[in-house]
Amino acid sequence: MKQPETKPSDMQHLSVAIQRYRPEQDDTPVWQSYQVPYDDSTSVLDALHWIKEHQDSSLTYRWSCRMAICGSCGVMVDGTPKLGCKTFLRDYPQGLKVAALANFPIEKDLVVDMSRFLQHLTTIKPYLIGEPSLVQAGSASAGSDQPSSAALQPQLQSPEQVKRYQQFANCINCGLCYSACPQFGLNPEFLGPAAIALAHRYNLDSRDQGKAERQPALNSKDGVWSCTFVGFCSTVCPKGVDPAAAINQGKIVSTMDGVIQWFSPKQLDATPQEPTS
Amino acid sequence: MSLTKRFQRSDEPIWWSLFSAGGVCVAMLIPALIVLLVFGPSLGLLSPDTLSYQRISTLLYHPLGLMFIGAVIILPLFHAMHRIHHGLHDLQWAHSALAKWLCYGSALLLSFLALSLWLLGR
Repeated sequence: MKQPETKPSDMQHLSVAIQRYRPEQDDTPVWQSYQVPYDDSTSVLDALHWIKEHQDSSLTYRWSCRMAICGSCGVMVDGTPKLGCKTFLRDYPQGLKVAALANFPIEKDLVVDMSRFLQHLTTIKPYLIGEPSLVQAGSASAGSDQPSSAALQPQLQSPEQVKRYQQFANCINCGLCYSACPQFGLNPEFLGPAAIALAHRYNLDSRDQGKAERQPALNSKDGVWSCTFVGFCSTVCPKGVDPAAAINQGKIVSTMDGVIQWFSPKQLDATPQEPTS
Repeated sequence: MSLTKRFQRSDEPIWWSLFSAGGVCVAMLIPALIVLLVFGPSLGLLSPDTLSYQRISTLLYHPLGLMFIGAVIILPLFHAMHRIHHGLHDLQWAHSALAKWLCYGSALLLSFLALSLWLLGR
């Protein structure tokens, strides 16, 4: 049975302070407060919609799915990175403060420039890198009517093989972990939690052969070694990914990789030589 | 970081490995030793004769005593200096090559001192 709709005027109101930054008129971010009607189902994103529709159409923020899948509506709520759609006003009876994600440059109001994060994501090649012979077989068959049978073979995985990386595959690239990370705040060159967790995810995938391509970035000062295991990235992740674990498992991998490299004959480190015969 | 950037391998695995090994000693071994050596005699777990100077001295300067020096002095030194080094960075007080040299250098120096005293005492 459909419940009768409550009018906003009959609803409880809550004070929502929003950090505004309009580059054409503000030198620095400023706070503005709004009284927002709410009930148990009102999310922070709903509150932003209400403000934009009823009080200030210039308010700017990102959003899309409203169900914690797209990762667009990340904001700081009372200083903690949260997804606006997954955070509810009922949990802040004294009112709340909403600001742009920390550690990123603000473009306007709650919209930040995430290009640094996306650059780090690109660096670690977050996609399956196939067995070179199979990739070559696939390319060779591209122009012919008969695709290579080897290239078309499904790469089966056992449940155990899936379980190894599945936890780290739930990342939605929302960037909350970068806002939570004090090391990324101090050094934006740090690859950061999500990128390293995704690198770890692909390195653990039995279908992937790209570890050697990802490892140099992970082994560098700005790779896994910038992390000091604060662990707040894992606390704020809205999808239950544990980037701190991924990074610290990555430290063991990087250490082993270093030991193997340091004790390997030098020619193995160099670019493959041309055959001499 | 760009796609074309050449990455230099960090030397951090060396310091992190010493830090981790030291952490295990600080967290597991040293509390057990404190309980045993400090409270052992008063709780009747050890007789006072067991901890006599002569006996402890003989144990310490036995070649296996080196393991004790490593686990109780050297590795915890690297553990502590690693924390201080990264703490200085986190507090934005110092994160230069000099700070790194001073932190790990002092751990190396004090380790060398401990080993020298052990060798001289034999």
